[in-house]
Amino acid sequence: MAEVPAKLEKGGSWVTSRIDIGNDGIVLKDPWNVTVSYRSIVDLQKRGQMITLLVSMPDKTERPYKIASVEKVLTILTKKIIMACNAYRIMAHFMSPAIRGGVLVTDAKWEKGAIAVLKTGIWFVSQDRQISVPLKEVASLELTKRELQKKKLDVIKIDHLEGGEVVTSFILCPLSTLQVLYNFLRDATKDMDMKGSELDQLDAQTAQVAMLIYSGMDTKSIENMLSLPPEELNAIYETLLKLKLVDVVMVRKEVQLTPKGVRYITDALKPPS
Amino acid sequence: MGRILIVDDTLFMRTLLKNILSSGGHEIVGEAEDGDIGVTKYRELKPDLVTMDVVMPKMNGIEALKAIKALDANAKVIMCTAVGQEQMVKLAIKSGARGYIVKPFQAPKVLEEIGNVLGA
Repeated sequence: MAEVPAKLEKGGSWVTSRIDIGNDGIVLKDPWNVTVSYRSIVDLQKRGQMITLLVSMPDKTERPYKIASVEKVLTILTKKIIMACNAYRIMAHFMSPAIRGGVLVTDAKWEKGAIAVLKTGIWFVSQDRQISVPLKEVASLELTKRELQKKKLDVIKIDHLEGGEVVTSFILCPLSTLQVLYNFLRDATKDMDMKGSELDQLDAQTAQVAMLIYSGMDTKSIENMLSLPPEELNAIYETLLKLKLVDVVMVRKEVQLTPKGVRYITDALKPPS
Repeated sequence: MGRILIVDDTLFMRTLLKNILSSGGHEIVGEAEDGDIGVTKYRELKPDLVTMDVVMPKMNGIEALKAIKALDANAKVIMCTAVGQEQMVKLAIKSGARGYIVKPFQAPKVLEEIGNVLGA
């Protein structure tokens, strides 16, 4: 066991405490004083220097535990949890990120490690790195082929959002496992699939607008590029909003000067007397 | 900031790239809708950088890249292709491409990549 300092959350308050990281589980000292076996952990989320464990209790309920500590401690702990928790886990190679914001990462390499699919996210773990992809951030999944050592091999391509950027990662493992993993991920993210009736509402121009939003264009640029009057672009935005393809991030105002404003400008432009 | 030539067979992508690159302070010195026109315009305009689509009807991007590199071994060309054509990367890099953009792309990363290549 290795006892290390940590902060533990209970009832909204953080308590300076200690945790014991063992081979089979973790002991959370004050205020919890419980032993959590890795096998009972069904989900793990990491945000900054804090992790949240979701633990399956004997009465079938699930209880969250929040732990904050330094990066080194969290790295050791998350690796132990991912490799032993109650999750769909396979040994695989992964490449992440392979493409970031549409730009190929030229020094991207295949890493040997494990992929674990937990309740709310996928974890890639190798000797040196741990990468978490929340399922709600998975934008698209595809079974495709990549060339590796002059062989075309089946891989899963995952596009996910990371801090507003679209990041592409690849997973490589034997085809039968790959298919199971792909189906599992498809199922876990099926809410994001477009239905036929939804696709019917997307004409070519709406698709172009969506593409320009993806590329980071603002409203004015989109209007200029597609020669669209504001009312038409607003109608397209409404369609995209209705289909939950976009969120409103800002509402701009169009204004005109009042008589007071006109007087101010007229006065401001007069030469000094 | 650089003088850039955009080679892409679709007007939409050319307009998009032009918009992104202009917003980053770059000057778009020319556009071409096919590889052979791109090579001709490279000879005329001597841009600091070329963004080159891979799949084009007459002369594809890889052939155009090779032709430009034959004209100017120091030419800075960034290839631009659709998802699923990543296998072209090795061929493009081998042929002298300095970078690779996969459509759809995001403006900040494209500008970062262009800046890196121009600064290299």
